[in-house]
Amino acid sequence: MKTEKVHLALFAEDQIDQAAEAIERLRKFGIPDQNISVISSVPYSEKILGRPMSWTRIPLIAISGAVVGFLVSLLLSFGTPLLYPMTVGGLPLLAIPTSIVVTFELTMLGLLISTFIGVFVETISPSFGPKGYHKSISDGSIGVLFICPLECDERMHASLVELGARLEHYAEEKLWL
Amino acid sequence: MAAEVKPLTSAELYSAHEEDPREQLMHDPRPRQELNDMVMEAMTTTSKRYWIAVGILVVLVAVCFLGAWGNMIATGIGLAGVRRPVFWGIFIVTFVFWIGISHAGTFVSAILRVFKAEFRRPFTRAAELMTTFGLAAGAMYPLIHLGRVWVFYWMIPYPNQRWLWPNFRSPLVWDFLAITTYLLSSTIYLFLPLIPDLAMARDRTTGIRHFFYKVLSLGWRGTEAEWFRIRKAINIFAFAIIPVMFSVHTIVSWDFAVGQVAGWNSTIFGPYFIIGAILSGVSAVITILFVLRSTMKHMDYFIRPEHFDSLGKLLLIFSFAWAYFFFNDYIVTWYGGYETVRAVLTMHATGPAAWVWYTMLICNIVIPWLTLWNKRIRRTPWVMFIITLLINVGMYMERVTIVPLTLGHQRSPFDWGEYVPRITEVSIAFGTLCLFMLLYLLASRLIPLIPVWEVREGQAAHTLRKVGKTTIPSVSELD
Amino acid sequence: MTAETTESTKKWGMVIDLDRCTGCQVCVTACAMENNIPSTGEDEVAYGRGMYWMRIQRYWHGEFPEVTPSFQPTMCQQCNRAPCEPVCPVFASVHSETEQINLQVYNRCIGTRYCANNCPYLARVFNYFDYELPVPLNYALNPNVTVRRRGVMEKCTFCVQRIHHAQEQARIEGREPTDSEVIPACAQACPTSAIVFGDLSNPESEIGKLSRSRRAYTYLAELGTDPRVIYLKGEGTYGG
Repeated sequence: MKTEKVHLALFAEDQIDQAAEAIERLRKFGIPDQNISVISSVPYSEKILGRPMSWTRIPLIAISGAVVGFLVSLLLSFGTPLLYPMTVGGLPLLAIPTSIVVTFELTMLGLLISTFIGVFVETISPSFGPKGYHKSISDGSIGVLFICPLECDERMHASLVELGARLEHYAEEKLWL
Repeated sequence: MAAEVKPLTSAELYSAHEEDPREQLMHDPRPRQELNDMVMEAMTTTSKRYWIAVGILVVLVAVCFLGAWGNMIATGIGLAGVRRPVFWGIFIVTFVFWIGISHAGTFVSAILRVFKAEFRRPFTRAAELMTTFGLAAGAMYPLIHLGRVWVFYWMIPYPNQRWLWPNFRSPLVWDFLAITTYLLSSTIYLFLPLIPDLAMARDRTTGIRHFFYKVLSLGWRGTEAEWFRIRKAINIFAFAIIPVMFSVHTIVSWDFAVGQVAGWNSTIFGPYFIIGAILSGVSAVITILFVLRSTMKHMDYFIRPEHFDSLGKLLLIFSFAWAYFFFNDYIVTWYGGYETVRAVLTMHATGPAAWVWYTMLICNIVIPWLTLWNKRIRRTPWVMFIITLLINVGMYMERVTIVPLTLGHQRSPFDWGEYVPRITEVSIAFGTLCLFMLLYLLASRLIPLIPVWEVREGQAAHTLRKVGKTTIPSVSELD
Repeated sequence: MTAETTESTKKWGMVIDLDRCTGCQVCVTACAMENNIPSTGEDEVAYGRGMYWMRIQRYWHGEFPEVTPSFQPTMCQQCNRAPCEPVCPVFASVHSETEQINLQVYNRCIGTRYCANNCPYLARVFNYFDYELPVPLNYALNPNVTVRRRGVMEKCTFCVQRIHHAQEQARIEGREPTDSEVIPACAQACPTSAIVFGDLSNPESEIGKLSRSRRAYTYLAELGTDPRVIYLKGEGTYGG
């Protein structure tokens, strides 16, 4: 027997104040922050919405990718001449100025590719939190998605509609593969 | 008798010379749904004119590019006009040209983003597409000019049973690494801000397009976490891709500068090429924006004279900078007295191909300096189109001066030689231009060309505030 | 470890006496025959694609009617600090550890032509097409030298096949090769003995003595390429 339901409260594009107020009211109903999610078509900073800051591991993944790139470049520019030396006139076998170029490029490649991999992996990873979506979000509406226990259903409906929300109820929809 | 001073009415506040801020894109907000409609309509509308253009370009790419290149692979590099002592010709010139053009996208979407220049918002994606396709066109040339292109993969570092690795001290290997890095990075940098717009397109299409957008948008909903993540990634990219962009064209310039060729061995080649690339790239952005505005629906809402104005101002500054670096290179090597270099410089200006040098100076210095200071000219798109086409012609001539002309006039007069481009080279160069245009045409109907979420974000941040007797545009930092 | 480290004691080099050179071009012809250099045809040569591993640079001096030519046979100078070597992306232009001359590895070359641009002596030539030798001439190919296909660079090798042959003979007999056993095609053919080849490190050999002549100079010495070819100044350009 389900005790909770997923609701999506849609506010019009310019109703950011009402959306922030709605989140306050939901908190007063006792819904914890992790059960509330705000979906929008333009980024709104967490401070505007009065929400806890999100977290991400992307900077860490980026730095570790840069380190991997750096190590690969050291291997290529110093390792390969040491293992398979080819004498070439005019430049020493292990030349630091030329290796700086290779090192820089491969480090940046590592940084940027791993940033993308971080975004990709984090985006397709399952998220904990209410799941739901509505097409009007991409047309500008601000959506407050939350899981509400059934007892508060009536009061919550009334409270949010008073702020100007449109309430939708959707089952989880597969937005990707 | 004291002079009468009348207070200005708000209608008179904006005379014909000044711009009413309400004409700017950022101060002309429309509901998001309307913006989405405009962008989707621009993307999905294809007229007969479009398909004729695509058809012609496909034929031209097949014949001029693939056909001529295939013929050259089967017959030999001798079909090109290269000869001793000019071993590098039009192929390398066009290569440097395309890599230069590809700097536009990064300049617009990374540098202008870092400096929070709001006018960049509508055309970052159009510029990034230019980068990606310019690199795609340019990256073909290190393969095209090879004598034995079927073994090109020997330049790629991979363990093999011959125990042979490429020579990491060679600028050509640095080229390979730098262009690969830049191509991958700018494709990803194109993709990341595209995800929310692909999600919008996913919500408004059906069928095969819907499937395509669904896969590419990675299940984007627009939650706070998703936005946080993507903005962090875009920030990392914006800051990191700027040094990559500088390094790519510097490395291309080092193909020339680290050699002992008289006239090439100049330490200023790095910054000189970078400024030339940005000049060439920003000009190409303006050219493309004019074409988009004239041919795609609703683009005249997004791309307005103010954008041509701001880009034109930047173009003038870069033209000054280019002239500075050019003159720096010229006077130092000419004064310094190394006989061969002086002879090379004199030959540039007075030899049989002096028209190349003069075309370069006229197009890169005279024309921008005479026109771009004028606001009316900068705000007239078709005039900017012509000026920027000429600037790119001038930049192409710059590379022609640097590569074949200098190579033909080295230390031993017995070995001097003139270079004449042959039909194969011209055909392949033209073919890559057609390839660029074809890719751009196809992309303009496959992905939304305007980053709507960024435009909307900007519009939400811009307001008109009444300060004293006038209304002033103000931008709030919603970051 | 740079190219200056010698593994063998031999320092193969060449001395060319410009006073003796008559510009007869026999060295050019001999080199072409020894090394299977293709002839590219009249049109290609007119465009500047003649394949000359050895060329005679001819300059005119004086005003008509007292015009005199001067000749300088030029080929790959086999520089100790060759500018063509570090720029090849695939290590097709390397320094040989035994003979200490500059090698062009035909089957590694991918044809970027950077080495040719970077050579200040413009000593390198490129195979623009597959050049066919017309029927009787292909019987004259030298079996000791490979034939190059299109797309690869080539240049003077100091007739390294002859150096190797002499070294192998000498090793069979358990000794070092002497100067008189190694003679490149150009030196062999020159009618005035203007070209002398041998071990520059041996001060008693003929070439050792010639290389210390007061007329000796190296071509474009100011570039620091340290070439193995030494020229002796010709008439009218030295002495009092």
